[in-house]
Parts: sequence; structure tokens; C-alpha cells
Amino acid sequence: MSLYSVEGILILDSKGERIYGKYYNPPHTHVDETNTLITSNKVQLEFEKQLFKKTYKKNSEIILYENHLILYKEYTDVTLYLIGDDNENELILQAAFDAYKNSLELVLNNGIDKKNIQENYDLVLLTIDELCDNGIILETDPASIASRVTKAPEENITLDLDKGLLGAWGFAKSKFQERLQQGL
Amino acid sequence: MSTKTYKKFENAGSGDLPDKMTVYQDCMNTFNESPVNPKRCRVLISRLLRLLSNGVAFPENEATALFFSISKLFQHQNDALRQAVYLAIKELSGMSEDVLMATSSIMKDVQNGSDLVKPNAIRALTYVLDESTAFSAERLLKSAVVSKHPSISSAALCTSYNLLPISEVTIKRFANEAQEGISDLKQFPSIPYDEHSLLVGEFYPNSTYMAQYHAIGLIYQLKKNDKMAILKLASQLANSNTLKNQLAKVQVVKLIDDLLARDPQLYRQFEEILLSWLTNKHEAVQIEVAKVISTFSLRNPRLVSPERFSYIVTTLQSLLAVPRVSTRFAVLRILNKIAMVSPEKIAVCNAELETLINDSNRNISTYAITILLKTGNASNIASLISRITRFIHDVSDDFKIIIIDAIRTLSLNFPQEWKSIVKFLIDVLKNSEGGLKFKNTVVEAIIDIVSFIPESKDMILESLCDFIEDCEFNEILVRILHLLGKEGPYTSRPSLYVRHIYNRVVLENSIIRSAAVVALAKFALTKNDPTLKESIVSLLNRIANDQDDEVRDRATIALRLIEFSEDDSTTVATELIEPKYFYDLPSLEAKLNNYLNTNDDSFKTPFDASSVRRFTEDEVKAIELKRKQEQALTGTTEGTSEPGAKKAKSESTTDNKGFAGPSVGEDEQELLNTKYAEKLLAIDQFKEYGKIINSSKPVSLTESEAEFVVNGIKHIFKDNIVFQFNITNTLPNVALDNVSVTCTQEDPEASQLEELFTISIDRLLPTDTGSCYVSFQKNDELVIEGFLNNLLFTTKDVDPNTNEPYEGEEGFQDEYEIDSLYISAGDYVTGSFIGNFDAAFDELPAEEIAVFNIQENLSLQEVIDKLVINSNCLPLNNTQFAPNDSNSHTLKLFGKSVLSGSKVALLIKMIRSSKGIALKVQGKGEDATLCSDLVNGLM
Repeated sequence: MSLYSVEGILILDSKGERIYGKYYNPPHTHVDETNTLITSNKVQLEFEKQLFKKTYKKNSEIILYENHLILYKEYTDVTLYLIGDDNENELILQAAFDAYKNSLELVLNNGIDKKNIQENYDLVLLTIDELCDNGIILETDPASIASRVTKAPEENITLDLDKGLLGAWGFAKSKFQERLQQGL
Repeated sequence: MSTKTYKKFENAGSGDLPDKMTVYQDCMNTFNESPVNPKRCRVLISRLLRLLSNGVAFPENEATALFFSISKLFQHQNDALRQAVYLAIKELSGMSEDVLMATSSIMKDVQNGSDLVKPNAIRALTYVLDESTAFSAERLLKSAVVSKHPSISSAALCTSYNLLPISEVTIKRFANEAQEGISDLKQFPSIPYDEHSLLVGEFYPNSTYMAQYHAIGLIYQLKKNDKMAILKLASQLANSNTLKNQLAKVQVVKLIDDLLARDPQLYRQFEEILLSWLTNKHEAVQIEVAKVISTFSLRNPRLVSPERFSYIVTTLQSLLAVPRVSTRFAVLRILNKIAMVSPEKIAVCNAELETLINDSNRNISTYAITILLKTGNASNIASLISRITRFIHDVSDDFKIIIIDAIRTLSLNFPQEWKSIVKFLIDVLKNSEGGLKFKNTVVEAIIDIVSFIPESKDMILESLCDFIEDCEFNEILVRILHLLGKEGPYTSRPSLYVRHIYNRVVLENSIIRSAAVVALAKFALTKNDPTLKESIVSLLNRIANDQDDEVRDRATIALRLIEFSEDDSTTVATELIEPKYFYDLPSLEAKLNNYLNTNDDSFKTPFDASSVRRFTEDEVKAIELKRKQEQALTGTTEGTSEPGAKKAKSESTTDNKGFAGPSVGEDEQELLNTKYAEKLLAIDQFKEYGKIINSSKPVSLTESEAEFVVNGIKHIFKDNIVFQFNITNTLPNVALDNVSVTCTQEDPEASQLEELFTISIDRLLPTDTGSCYVSFQKNDELVIEGFLNNLLFTTKDVDPNTNEPYEGEEGFQDEYEIDSLYISAGDYVTGSFIGNFDAAFDELPAEEIAVFNIQENLSLQEVIDKLVINSNCLPLNNTQFAPNDSNSHTLKLFGKSVLSGSKVALLIKMIRSSKGIALKVQGKGEDATLCSDLVNGLM
């Protein structure tokens, strides 16, 4: 009766290459050396390759694979995966998976595709972090997850008036040069 | 910074992975800048994390440097940056050597941070605390657990859960606060205005009360050793309406499951509430309840009435029609488990299952088929197989293998249906596309059928001959050639196969030619067609000129052996050509290893193979059949057939405990027996007894919770019997000295046994296990007796420092009564396989009939299990499973005497009525005494 029901979260592209991947091991416990899926990147990549082969264009949603319950959804050029303990209630994992894909849909408001995920990688990371903590399902409501994800901070241009006019001039000059460099 | 790099930096992430060194340099420069540029920092952190997520690792010094500069960013009070900083801290903490420096900044955030970053800060604590510092977070975690903010409370509960392995004591101190988290329904406060500008969008959180789930999980871990506390928690939660979260509700069902595993009698108490949850609005709860009750009832069939069980089946049946794929998938997994043990219970779902054969999810359709194959009965197998024939050609190999495995079990269950099954398998073998692994599975299934259903031999061998004319896999060809060589000589027309085998010699490569030569040689000695020998010799003579060494060698050896066999003086030839027995491979391996390691005289004494257990062909079949029956139970069809994985094994062994009376862990048992036997024979006094003829399974003589746990093993020698008592001392701080067992015959006057000596155990320290032996002289070949046993010992207190008894302590003499041990006729019998039970039964000369009445309230299955254990015989024709829908059953058992090898068969008819179970045992055997002893001593 463990809370650690998620074993990993993956995002693979249309060729089966990893865009995001995280495998969980309960913290502060001895890592089981035989469970190389957690320790070895090579094993992970092979696992992903085989898993991708098994799921690509198969439209199954849920499969048992090497004693893991895998839930997945294919989008145009990416596939989201959630790897779960095979003894866990399938519908609980389904709830976690729904939260995973729906919250990503909310956060990436232009839809889930490879370019969007790569350009908003920080948002994807934060979303997954709010979904699952070390394999414990943290939250299953997509809006609650999305409401805790911050966007990238604005570039805040604050003038420090103490430094006087000269300071302001220097600041403006450097900003101007920066823009020029960008080819604006 | 050039325009180019700046551009690259702006479109962070698009395209290929960023360069590791560039990212490192950029991070080091930017993070140490003053003032901090939050936007750039966050982009850089995200690029860094992308590298880490793709498996790029930094050396420890670089990781430490990164960790250090990232913790500098704590100075900047931007929550959007702060969230990213926490992500980086979590990822880097595993690689960096010093993580404690971040602790104080994190703790500051836990106390004073905004509601937005507090949960992130709390969850980061998991990574920076260790055994020595975890206590310092007690107050912070405690106040966070009781926070009104759901995210903060959940974060604190999860962190506590994560920290349990290192600081259970600390976390126990706020168990009460955690418990409140179960009943507290926490609502999200509205998000403050200034925070909105930081967030990615305008989303309004809905309270799902996840903290309830986390709190139950944590409380369970804290109290799991206290059954009463768990019982209290479960009944409290089950009977109140405080739980709003579906995960939490499922968790309660799991709590109950945990309790039922500890004490099945609690089922009464929870039955009503569990059944009422079958109509819960959450499918997850329904599924979990069905899962729990169905597994429970398979282990404790008497506690769940068939009527109650049918509620579950009805629920599952209705869930089969829901649109959600994972629900159907979950239901099928449960049905599959039920089908392995009592398929008739779910036969009502057949209509739904048949529609699922065409489901787009291949996992689902495959499950549906395998379940249908199990629920199928003799009448619909043929039609089912024709449906599968259509289906199997368009699924992938993995699914084909699962289906073939199911068919293979089916063939063992319905031997009379072999014709349609064999036709199907041959068709698949010849016409279906597929890789080696798949074809191999088919061939294995066919080989199984040949060896367990002798009638099918001719048809199968002929079809296989056709198949090898056109087979692309060497491995499979070799296996088939071996099978032809093994079985072919005993068929009515051996010459037919010789032609096919010889064709291979002419046409194929050297690997197959060598295999074919060995197969051919076996035909030379066939009794069915004496004329063949000459032709084989001439064929072999021709092959002896082959261009390949191996083929030539084998042909020459075969020719020599055939020559040998002509003068009957030596049996070597026949033994090599047609081996009558096989070595027990695990014990052969152990012996060989031992031989190599104890190299006393640089291998001058040859290896003695006579001490390795040998099996005759029938015995091998008996063992295999037993293993297959077991496999059918534990369900190797679970999982998509990928090789092994340890987890599957451990799962199946735990699952196993419930279902299977007599057949648990046969393999391990064999190994254990070999080990015991070795230990026994290493004792000087026993050396003169000769070889052990038979060893029983350990019989438990005390309850498993007793102060001394004892089990007894009966070893039978030619003229002696030795009891081995394995004694475990479970008393803490007490050592047992001079432990021995006194065995008194129940009827000393009439005893055929004479006690010779006892070997006692000198000292048993706490938790130690030792073996004590009692030896008897046997005056009759077949001795059947009961023994009353007493454990004798001297107790001494142990000094906990030295783990030795205190000096000068005299100790107390004490006695402890343990259960009786019986030597029964079953101890002289071992299970054996026979293809045609009914014919063999009629042929055996001696007969004995006995009638028993069992008054105890046992199910038929329990009686069968007991009979199988008592008689030590092998159940045949799949009669070891009681039908659930009928009150009568016929059990067929077959065995062989370990002393003389004489056969014995039992036909047991049982009828269950309100008064109990009536048994009529009809035994037949070659040896009249054994037969009557076995029959009369059965219950």
C-alpha cells in the first residue's frame, strides 16, 4: 500500500527520441541495483525505444509492458507516457495520466506539439513537478495544477533614481546597444 | 555575446540539445551576475534541466559548482524564478556533494514564502535533509501539515512520506496532525491579485481533497505494524462520509485488503460495506473492490458465498461495456485472474468477451481471447478455435505468443479435444508469419501435446515432417528432429520418418545434419520395424563421408554404438542411443560445482554421477506436468510475455500461496530436499544407511507463531528411517542448549521400528535454526506408524552484548510438546505420469476399496488438496481442480513405489452433501500391500 504509484513520466517525439524523461525511485531508500531502469541511462533509452515501437500508431491508450502499466497518448509529433506500477489501480493511474495531459494542454495554450514543448520547456517541467512528487500523485485536477505554474518572469526595467540622470542615460545607452545588436 | 548566440539563447530549446559546456559556462556566468536577471536565469535553468532530463551528467565538481551558484539565486525574490530554482535544486541534489548549504534558504521559504512557492520549498526539503538534519524540519512540517492551503498540506504530507526511511521518529511526533488531514476538507483560497501576473494563465483550482489520499498513505506507513490501529482506521473511514477524494477511497479499500491478508476472518465485518461500494460512482473504487474480493475469495473460497461473488461478476460485466479503455482493461485483468482458477464463475460474461475480441486495443482483445479459452468447455472449443484462427493472423507476435500459451494450457485441460487444437497449431505453424520466438512457442506447445496426449503422436509427427521440409529456423528444425528421433521409433510406421529425416541430411546445413544423424541413429534399435536397422546402417555409412567434422563424428559414433548393441553383453550402446533416464540438472550442477571446488587430489578420483538423482522418462513427465499445472494457475499470460523480470516471479509466488495446496514452490522444494539430503549424508552415523530413497516435504509441527517453530522431514532409507526436525528458536534473549526430540510410538507394542540414536543440537541462539535427527531401524519394508513428539532442551539467558549465554548459568530443563508425525503409505510413493490413466487402471492386478466420511466443513478443493498431499501421487487428467458448480468430483491419482517402482493408481469419487463429504477410494496397484496401505491410510 504505497503512495509511490508512478514509476516514470516520458515525452517522446515522433521518432521515439526522448524530449523529457524522468524515472522515479522512492527517496532515501537503497536503489535496487537490479532495477537498472532507474540507474542506467542506457537501459532507459533502450526501454523507451522498445516502448515506442510497441505503442507507435497502435492507438491502445493502456498496455502492460515489462511489468509496468503504461498509459499513453499520441499527438501529431509527440507521445505522452505515464509509467505506473502494475499492481496499482488502473483507473487511478488513468486519473493521473488525464491530469498530466490536460494540465499540459492548459499550460501550453497553443496545443501539445514538439515545438511548443521545447520552447516552453520550463512550463512543462513545472507542470509535471506539480503533478507528481517522487512518484506520489500530487494532484489530479488539471486546473489546480495549471494554477500553480508560473510563466517566465518579465524583463523588469526599473530605473534606479538614486543614480541620477547620468545613470539613466548609461542604462538607456546600453539597452539601445543591445537592441541594435539584435538587429532591431 | 554575438548575435548568433543571443538568438540561440532566445529560442532556448528548439531543435537539438544545447551544448553541455556552453550551458555550464552560461549558467556559471549568469547566476553569479549582480543584479540577477530573472528571465535569463530561468531560461538557463530550463536548458540545464533539459540536458539533465536527457541523461547528460555533470562531474561532481561541476554539479557542486552549479548547485552553489543556483542557491545564490535565493537572494532574488521572484517567485517565477524561485520555482525554477527549486526544480534545479531537486535535480542537482543527487549529483552535488554538498547540499546542506541550501537548507536554510529553503527553510526560510517554508516559513515566510508566498503560498505559491511554499509547497515547492517544502517538497525540496526531501532532497536536502538527511538522517542527522531531518529532525530540524519537524516544527516546519508539522505546521505545514495543518495548513489550510491544500497544496501546502499535501506537500508537507508527501515530504514526510518521502522522509520516512530516515526519520520515522520525527514524523511520528505529528501523526495526530497528519490524521486530521484525513478529515479536514481543505479548500483552495482565491489566488491573490499580484500572484496572477506571475502565473501562466487564469486558472481557478478546484479542491479535489488530495491531501486525504496523502494523509491516509502516511498514516498507514506509521501504523502498519499495529493491526488494531489499522483496523480502527479502516472501519472509521469505511463507515463515515468524510472521504471526498476517489484516490483516498481506493486507498481505504486497499487498507481493508491489507487487513484481510492478515486476518481473513475480518471479511465478515467488511463484506457489507465492500459490496456496497460496488455501485460507487467512481469506477476506480468499483474496480478495486472487485479486485480485492476476487483475490480474497480465491484464497479463502469458503468465506465468500457464490451469491456474493456473483455481485462482483455482475459489476465487472457491466463495466466491460464502458467506453473508457483503461476500465475495460482493468476488468479484463481481474477476469483473467479469476478465470485461471474458477473459469465457470465468469462464464456469464462470455457474450461481452466475444464482442471484445475485435477491440482496437490488442491487449484487450488478447485478454478476451485467453479468458474465453479458459472459460470454454468441451462443447465450444472447436468454434472458439475457428474464431481465433481468423484473428491470430493479424496481430503482432507478442499477442500470438500469449494466445498460443493459452491454447497450450487448454490442450492440457481438454485432452480429448486434441484434434482441433493440433490442427490449429499446425496451421499456425505453417501458414502464419512470425519470428523465431513465436514459432518456437508453437513448437513447444506441440511437443507438450505429443508427450501428454499419446494418441496425437502419429498425426503430429506426420505434420511436423511436412513442416520441416520448409522451415527457415535452424533452432526449430533441430528441436523437431530431436522429437522425431525420440518419438518416431515407437510409432507404427517408423520408416516413414526415416525418409524425412534423411532428406534433411541431404539438403540442409551442418547443424541440422548433425541433429538428423542423432535422430536417425535412434531408429536403428526400434522394435517396431526390425528391417530398418540395416538401412539405417547403410545411411549412416554414407553420412560418415560428410564434409563436416561434427556430422562425420556423430555418424561414426552412432555406427559404433549400433555395432555394440548387437552383442548384448553391454548396455552402454542402448543407454546412449535411447536414454532411459535423465539427470536432475540442478543437483547435477551443484554436485559438479562441488566437485570442482573441493579439488583434493587434482581430480584423480573421477566424478561420481551415481549420487545425482536420476529420473526416468515418466518421472520427468510427471514433474513437467506438475510444473505446467502450476503455471496455468499463476498465470504466465499476465504481462506481454517479455522475458522474466524478477518482479513477476515474486508476484507469482505471493499470489501462489493462496490458490495452490500441494504444488507450491516445487522447484525450490526439490533444491531444499537435495540440500537436506547432502547435510544428512555428511553425518558419519548415516553413511552406512546407503542412499536416501525418499524424503518427505517438511511437515509443520507447531504453529508458525509458536516460541519454537518446528518442522519435520521423513527420510526413508532401505533399512532405516530418519526423522529430521528443523527447530527455530524465536525467543529473544534465550539460548536453547542440548535440544533434542523424543519420539514415542503411538503403539509401542506393535511397533516395527526400533529407535537407534538421536543427534541433538548443542546450542540454538535466538533466531537460529538447527536440525536434530532421530534414527530408527526398520524391520519391515513398509512401515506405517505415528509418533508423539516432545522437544527437550535447557534454556539459558543470553547476554545481549556478547550474544552468548551468561557464564556459569545452569539454565532450566524444559519440555515442549509438538504435533505428532506420521509415516504413511504416501511416504513410500512418488507421483508418476501415465498417458492413459483409465487403461492402466484397469490393467493393474491388486485392488482395494475404502469409503471415508469427512464431517469437517471442508470444500471439495480442500479435500482434493489434502488427498494429493497425503497420497504423494500425481493428479492426472486435470482432476485436481474441483468444479465449483457441482457437489461431486472424481480425482485420478497415479504414483509409483519408491522402493520397488511398482505402479499404483487411485480413483477417488467424492460427493458433498449437507452432512459432509463422502469419499469412495478405489485403489489398484502391482503391490497389494502398498495399495491397501495407501488406500486405507489416505484420510
